[in-house]
Amino acid sequence: MAREVGRVEITMEALFARLAADFGDGLGELRVQEPDTLVAAVERRALHALAERLKAHELGYETLNFIAAVDHVRHLEAVYHLYSWHTNTWLELHVEVPRGTAELDTVTDVWPGADWHEREAWDMMGIRFKGHPDLRRILLKDDFIGHPLRKDYVDRAENHPHV
Amino acid sequence: MGIGDDVIRMVPDRLKVQYPKLSDFSQPNVITTTADLVFAWARSRSVFPFTYGLACCAIEMLSSGFAKFDVARYGMEVFRPTPRQCDLMIVAGTVNEKMAPVLKRLYDQMSEPKWVVSMGACATSGGPFYDGYNVVNGVDKVVPVDVYIPGCPPRPEALFQGLLELQKVIRQYKFVPELPEVPEPAEPAERS
Repeated sequence: MAREVGRVEITMEALFARLAADFGDGLGELRVQEPDTLVAAVERRALHALAERLKAHELGYETLNFIAAVDHVRHLEAVYHLYSWHTNTWLELHVEVPRGTAELDTVTDVWPGADWHEREAWDMMGIRFKGHPDLRRILLKDDFIGHPLRKDYVDRAENHPHV
Repeated sequence: MGIGDDVIRMVPDRLKVQYPKLSDFSQPNVITTTADLVFAWARSRSVFPFTYGLACCAIEMLSSGFAKFDVARYGMEVFRPTPRQCDLMIVAGTVNEKMAPVLKRLYDQMSEPKWVVSMGACATSGGPFYDGYNVVNGVDKVVPVDVYIPGCPPRPEALFQGLLELQKVIRQYKFVPELPEVPEPAEPAERS
């Protein structure tokens, strides 16, 4: 059932305490980054369960605004930007992904809007989302070889054979 | 300036003697000329460009259509969004590999005769993105290009100069295709 939007009056400190109390270690290294933004590090195996809990939570992180993918050279990282219309605050989930087996659980069943964002992360950064209904390339051609936004990507003629 | 002045100026001197003079005709309001010249003259002044804006060059292309620059002065103001009604494709912007087959298909859908103008550094050679992983280095790898316009992006004046150069290209178009040269029959070998 849809809840009334923007009705939770809460300060950032109280929000911080509330999330830390409710989720404990699930949101590791929780910190306030901007006046309206909380940042948390999340274990990748716990991501999907956490996503379901966050969406169903009283503070209402019902909107997945964007999924970003970052190459930190030592490892990859997926950043989930959640927005709560009840507190008008952001919550960023930083998920570390190993380079070798870059796999994450999909959150398309929690937030259907994650579909194209996960496809883009797969296309550009090569993060494979397990359980995604249709994990194809979204921006590049289907026969493109490689994931060009990775730092170790080298552009070769054979990566795009049709030109 | 009448239609005759412009056309007659374009007739090469060596051809002029082959045509009867206007005064040879007793009826008024009759001119004689070649079909090629008239059609090419008309065609070069009623070009229908295809709205093919791919990047920031498209802003300059649109700007050239508005009142301040006004490409209508050259008879080209009717930008069409469908290739069926166009005979000029102004490729304005970066062509990437996913767009290239689409561009080729739209070019194929345009009816003959047709021309292509490559506008700006990107469409000409890839421009600042020449080593990008998804950039076609020049639209001439996909379709034949008649006029290249440098600039990043070119101002509307530069586009106009390119279009005026294109008019010269269009005027060389042969309405009636030239017949292939027939080799002369070999003389029969003399019998000894």
